[in-house]
Amino acid sequence: MISMNQDSATPTPPARSLPGRVFDFFSGFGLATTLLLLLGVLTWLATLEQVDRGLYDTLNKYFDWKAWYLFPEIDGRTFYFPLPGGYWVCALLLLNLALGGVGRARKGWKHAGVLISHFGILIMLVSGGVTQHFSERGHLAVGEGETSDTAEDYFEHVVEVAEIKGGKPTAIHEIRGEWLIDLQGDKRRLFRLPNFPFDLELTRYLPNAMPVAATERAPEANEPVVDGYFLMSRPGEKNAEANTAACYARLKNRDGSTPGPFILAGASFQPFTVRQDGRVFTVDLKKRLWPMPFKVRLEKFTAEFHPGTNRPKSFVSEITRIEDGKEARSIISMNAPMRYEGLTFFQASYGPPGATAGQKLYSVFEVVKNPGDQWPKYSLYIVSFGLGLHFLLKLIFFFSARSRYEHRA
Amino acid sequence: MKRPALLLFMALGLLVSCREKPAEVTITETRPLTTKDTTPKLDATSDQRFRDAKPSPVQGETPVGWLKLPATQMRLLNYRFGESGLGEVWVSVSSGSVLDNVNRWFGQFDVEKLDAAGLAKLRRVPMAGMDGVWVEAEGDYAGGMGAPARTGYGLAGVVAIDPHGRILTVKMVGPKAEVAATKSVLEAFARDLRFTE
Repeated sequence: MISMNQDSATPTPPARSLPGRVFDFFSGFGLATTLLLLLGVLTWLATLEQVDRGLYDTLNKYFDWKAWYLFPEIDGRTFYFPLPGGYWVCALLLLNLALGGVGRARKGWKHAGVLISHFGILIMLVSGGVTQHFSERGHLAVGEGETSDTAEDYFEHVVEVAEIKGGKPTAIHEIRGEWLIDLQGDKRRLFRLPNFPFDLELTRYLPNAMPVAATERAPEANEPVVDGYFLMSRPGEKNAEANTAACYARLKNRDGSTPGPFILAGASFQPFTVRQDGRVFTVDLKKRLWPMPFKVRLEKFTAEFHPGTNRPKSFVSEITRIEDGKEARSIISMNAPMRYEGLTFFQASYGPPGATAGQKLYSVFEVVKNPGDQWPKYSLYIVSFGLGLHFLLKLIFFFSARSRYEHRA
Repeated sequence: MKRPALLLFMALGLLVSCREKPAEVTITETRPLTTKDTTPKLDATSDQRFRDAKPSPVQGETPVGWLKLPATQMRLLNYRFGESGLGEVWVSVSSGSVLDNVNRWFGQFDVEKLDAAGLAKLRRVPMAGMDGVWVEAEGDYAGGMGAPARTGYGLAGVVAIDPHGRILTVKMVGPKAEVAATKSVLEAFARDLRFTE
């Protein structure tokens, strides 16, 4: 029902209900414009900040789902102007595009291209979320003639407890990084290990630390000294893969006794050994190992560089994939990864650094498990098709309108 | 119009931030054995775990005024001495010949290198029951890998071949006055070293 304004006699639209106003806000063009501008600003600031902070930390600060808001920091100066986290800007944009760009948009043949393009952008945004929540990344290094079935996580440190039988670790129990990272300061957590004659208590987790001999350097922050060593915290490395986490640990035996504490460090060369009732166990903190569903044998690795430079021209790894006794050859190069069983192997680097001719080389692959691996590509195809269709329809409508006009004239 | 969006945003934030992790967790998650799981070195000491230190084939008594430090991958026995805190003494097993090692040390002090005849003229001193050569030098010490040279430094040390054909070295570097004052202690320390294998 339309009411009339008594003074001007112009119709006044009925007041929108609260749900209607919420819908208008979330599907509005104004919100879309604001979010796109914010995304541009966040990307620009993150690009500037990663120079000092490092890529991994910057991505976490600007685009992780746990980052609701952030204060940008440029050239060591913090700007106390809060900006929303990129993840939530994208999430709102997804909602906005679904409600406004698809749900509220004009339908019909004339607008089919735009709708398809919006649908493609939705897929792009969803693939970003899938990558954030479900992807895993690690690296697998294998020497020429050698075989490997394990990638190592770039960032996640875990604590492994294993029983040693016949010189080999068995029943390797893994305490994932999500249970360690919040154990800062005096906060501690008890890990029950039903398959072992002891439980394990961990505390004072440091994301980047070194065991230092107390005879060489005195603890500066009352760090506990254990067997002559204490954990010295270090600032995060720019290249976050180089961080070595560490923590203090203590066993809790089934009989209630608690032997002295010990240090677990990602920078250690050997695990801590526990002997109980004739059984032998090891406790170690290391980067998470990620078993592959198949083995990779590196047959040959070749590296070519642009003449007179260290700029790589091409790295090529000829590998054999071994699965259930069957072998299959494959070639992995810089822009041609191997995709198999949901895993993607990218040619990442090689070693040893500064290798000379004739020296045995190893190849390093970045291994990525991402259910949304190919979705950005598909979304680009859809967006391109949608825009192509839109421009084509516009052209057709233009020519048909002109011919009608000429016919009438 | 903006209030509902703000409230929704804050409610989501509170929901996420209030989730506290438990103080106890039962771990049953395991992973299979992989090609990276090699035979672990058991019962490693803290020095071996954190510095990859190897057991030393020789042992010695720490002289009065010296500070024993943890061993490292390259330093089987490791000490500090002197008032400045900069004096270092360490025992290593090295590769090459006696002459190679003497000349490597001289190279660190930019001292002219010796030939076999020059080596034969060096003073002989006992070390752990062996016959070693006594080496001294002074000048700018550029022993650190890539580290800038330290001026006014002194070197004293002994190089010998052990019964297994390995080169055993005892090396002292530090401010030259402190090295000069401690040379006799070093000589006695090297003499009294004893093999443990």
